Amino acid sequence: MKKSRKILAITAASALVFGMGACSGNPGTGSSSAGGDSKAPVEITYLHRLPDGEGMVKVDDIVARWNKEHPEIQVKATKFDGNAQQMIQRLETDVNANNGPCLGQLGYNEVPEFYSKGLVLDVTTEANKYKDKFSGAFGQMSTGGKISGLPQDTGPLVYFYNETEFKNLGITVPKTLDEFKTAAAKAAVAGKYIADFTPDEVAFWLSAQTAAAGGVWYGTSGDQWKVQVDSPASQKVATFWQDMIDAKSVLTLDRWGDAYGKALTDGQLIGNIAAAWEFAFLLDPLNDTPAEGQWRVAQIPDFGAGAKTGPDGGSGVAVMKGCEHPVEAMQFNAWFNTQVDDLTTQGLVVAALGNPKTPAKALKQFGGQEIMKELATANKNLSMDFAYIPGFSAVGPKAVETAAEAAKGTAKVADVFTTAQQASIDALKAAGLSVAQ
Amino acid sequence: MSVITSTAPRRPMSSADQATSPEGRTKTTGRQRMGRNTRHQAISGWLFALPFALAFLLVFVLPIISAVRASFFAQVASGGLYGGGERQDTFVGFDNFVTAATSLSFWRGIGRVMLFGVIQIPVMILAAMFLALLLDSFMVRRPGVWRLLYFLPYAIPGIIAAIVWSYLYQPELSPFAGAFPSMGGSPFFLSPQVMLASMANITTWTYTGYNMLIFLAALQAIPTELTEAARVDGASGWQITTQIKIPMVRGAALLATLLSIIGTVQLFNEPSMMRAVASWMGNDYMPMMMAYNTMMGQISPSGSGPASAISILIAAVAGVLAVAYAIVQSRMSR
Repeated sequence: MKKSRKILAITAASALVFGMGACSGNPGTGSSSAGGDSKAPVEITYLHRLPDGEGMVKVDDIVARWNKEHPEIQVKATKFDGNAQQMIQRLETDVNANNGPCLGQLGYNEVPEFYSKGLVLDVTTEANKYKDKFSGAFGQMSTGGKISGLPQDTGPLVYFYNETEFKNLGITVPKTLDEFKTAAAKAAVAGKYIADFTPDEVAFWLSAQTAAAGGVWYGTSGDQWKVQVDSPASQKVATFWQDMIDAKSVLTLDRWGDAYGKALTDGQLIGNIAAAWEFAFLLDPLNDTPAEGQWRVAQIPDFGAGAKTGPDGGSGVAVMKGCEHPVEAMQFNAWFNTQVDDLTTQGLVVAALGNPKTPAKALKQFGGQEIMKELATANKNLSMDFAYIPGFSAVGPKAVETAAEAAKGTAKVADVFTTAQQASIDALKAAGLSVAQ
Repeated sequence: MSVITSTAPRRPMSSADQATSPEGRTKTTGRQRMGRNTRHQAISGWLFALPFALAFLLVFVLPIISAVRASFFAQVASGGLYGGGERQDTFVGFDNFVTAATSLSFWRGIGRVMLFGVIQIPVMILAAMFLALLLDSFMVRRPGVWRLLYFLPYAIPGIIAAIVWSYLYQPELSPFAGAFPSMGGSPFFLSPQVMLASMANITTWTYTGYNMLIFLAALQAIPTELTEAARVDGASGWQITTQIKIPMVRGAALLATLLSIIGTVQLFNEPSMMRAVASWMGNDYMPMMMAYNTMMGQISPSGSGPASAISILIAAVAGVLAVAYAIVQSRMSR
């Protein structure tokens, strides 16, 4: 019986063996094999998962512009409908089957993994030609000094808050962690919360806060990884949240659960530390409510390392193994990722330098604030020391599990870092990489 | 099985008769010299079977072979920070199986699945049988309408059902979940103590109607002469139900339970959906989830090798449980 389960099980099982690729079709070959004929245009395929939503400048339209200007380099962009994890699986399968796209979108955390699996090309020379067009995120596409592509967007942590509610409560945007705790306590008395501890986001959210406090999770010592997830910087972050959870002055709702949206619309949640790219959709539930236009963006409080913030997400476009025209692919890559205004409409905090216009939607939601200026400041303050390890994807879920316990009060926030520490060592060892003890 | 029984002439053991007769026929034709007509029939027979055979080979046999092969390999780097820039597909013998079989979370998952099955399957099968008996009796008017209503939840895709129930379990969204106390910081229905029951509820809601149909088909295949004779002999409705109907649907119960055991070991929709609203569950709450997330790189060691090994272990556990159930069942009926 349980037929749907069986079907699912079978799909999953066949996915296991075919590695997802068999049931997901063919994205087209890496590039044209008609290399002999110099007249034939070079074909570049590009797999992305940009939202392409309503009111955005569509990726296909941007690409069409390039194709018109560059008859000799024709690009075909394909949108992947699925989450990051599924796209990674698809890329890995297709590239291994020599069937992958020439360019593919990779989260910064996935770059080391892809590099260690030999799935991306070393395009360091090409990339360096375009270096001065990009912010510090440029470094996020490099692994051990080898660059595999160009950055697209960044996710510095910023502080979103409801200005009107803050005024009513008589609080201002906190500048330090102590100020933050005091403000949280004051708001909580009135049944309002200026932050939410989001268990399902901890892998990037807490690691970014460690970076904001001047620490890193991973370093290297010679030819070995040094895992230092539970460093003093992390412990500072842990104490900060633990104090507020204990005082019940923050919420502990999952970021992607429905309860979060409800807390927003109820006016219970009036602020949070979040990745900059959330500007694109965070306030959507508040459209046409009295709270519309009351929110603003500010920098996160000083975590002890001065005006510094950490990277929470963001991705770049890497050149995949098997791409026959990496030089041309990088030409397009550099052009595409510097179409700052177009990419901004996609809800990205663009990694390329420039002065993007604040989209009309954001102007309305943020009461006319030129948020792109504020986000650019955060981008500039982004810690560039933070790097991920191959196998980071297995670290996150473990950390999330413990964070959920911490949210319930059956574990401490510090345990999240301890768990991530152990999971990181396990992941590295399981992948056959060296870890310094 | 139930289909054969219901279309068969109304006498006991008819399905067995039917099953043997075509076999006998093929034996005789096999001994005769193949006529032109027969050969033609044989060819068209094979042609008719071809689409099935091809699909079966492609989506069933080959994946299994590929999974078994994959389970003996692992993709490892050659040390250092990033390895040699390429992972080697290395033969590791039974390493993947050892890792899976010695993993605490795998057996915890199996334990949860067993606990789930031990309670949920009997409840569901008994409820299905009860509903079928009710519809088969003359107590219910318009049985067709009720049959459809009971079956309706099954028509809703499992993943959608899980989403709907996950809304009903969250106090922020549910019309009733708010009335229950929270358990150790979690909402009542999403707490570690209640989670299995919450999922069992979804499964029962979905599949009771389906299992009821199996029983109903078996009940309607019971020759009316039997019940009529019993009634003439003075048997009450209760006696007819307990002495005739229930023993006659034993085969259907065996089938329904067996398939439920296998389905339970493969639980995936419910835990995956529930995890989206209860992050404490982790990504290895149940074995199928563990296999999937191992493949997706969300659990280390990850990759097709460890994931295939977990899948094969799950199949082995399901096989052992099914065989054990069949043996116990046949001992008891003796």
